[in-house]
Amino acid sequence: MVDMAMHMMDVVQNSIRAQSKEIEIGFFEDSSNHTLTFRVEDDGCGMSREAVQKLADPFFTTRTTRRAGLGIPLLKMTCEQAGGALSVLSEAGGGTVVEAVYRTDHPDCLPLGDIAGYLALLLKANPGIRIRFAYRMDKALFTIDSHELQKEGVDVLCPGMMSAVKEYIRQNLNELYTKRPSGSLLCR
Amino acid sequence: MDGIKTLADLKKKQEEVRSRIDLRNRAESPESIVQVKVAMATCGIASGAKEVMEYFVEELDKRSIDAVVTQTGCMGYCFAEPTVEITMPGKEPMVFGYVNARKADEIIERYIKEGELVDGIIPQNYNTI
Repeated sequence: MVDMAMHMMDVVQNSIRAQSKEIEIGFFEDSSNHTLTFRVEDDGCGMSREAVQKLADPFFTTRTTRRAGLGIPLLKMTCEQAGGALSVLSEAGGGTVVEAVYRTDHPDCLPLGDIAGYLALLLKANPGIRIRFAYRMDKALFTIDSHELQKEGVDVLCPGMMSAVKEYIRQNLNELYTKRPSGSLLCR
Repeated sequence: MDGIKTLADLKKKQEEVRSRIDLRNRAESPESIVQVKVAMATCGIASGAKEVMEYFVEELDKRSIDAVVTQTGCMGYCFAEPTVEITMPGKEPMVFGYVNARKADEIIERYIKEGELVDGIIPQNYNTI
């Protein structure tokens, strides 16, 4: 995993596999505390207490196709090497919250990566799931909601619309990034 | 693409797309159109499944092939990522490994359009006699 957008896709894929109907993705930058909080909340099937405790173990997985599960251990590694921490809250049947905090004043903080590209793919590939995304840069906020888009008549499934949605997200995120105060080591 | 910044721009684009393309009648049952599943677990993402998936979405649109592209989890072929599973109407699913943009082009042109088998198939559905 070389950037946060990859982690986003990875964690959201876990939510999809847990049969979620609503997924909330958030990136919250706080320039006064030099932190970036990456958060994914879903209403999927959740995990038992034992499973949550074993999450950071790369050799723990529920799938049967292979014997390793690296997604969460890698996320834990990248946020801890940037001086942050990972927390996972979940209960069986009650959804899951994954929250990773990165220090943006740490040189090992991951770059953000192509969030717009991954998000557009997620919207395109999962029309049955309500996906809400928010990026907060101190007080400035950008949100996108797959239900709202549908209500406005924007159909991502329509040929050619995925790239338009991607462009829409990219331009709005780029504008948010210009509001980032100097001193942050976070990059695109 | 230039200047899609507000929801209004996005809606305008949608109108444009609607009027330009006569909307192909989306088949009611998913069994009657081509299904493309791109493996998007940790292993797939790390080896570039996103570029492959974007390529499939854009090229199938451009070449006017009725297909639905979705993401799936790890199929257990981490050694051959990025992997793509393609289900042609009425046929068994076929898994292709080591897919990049060039391979994806070959798969679209030869397997999806012509039904020919191409290199890189991962045998997954053995049947014993």
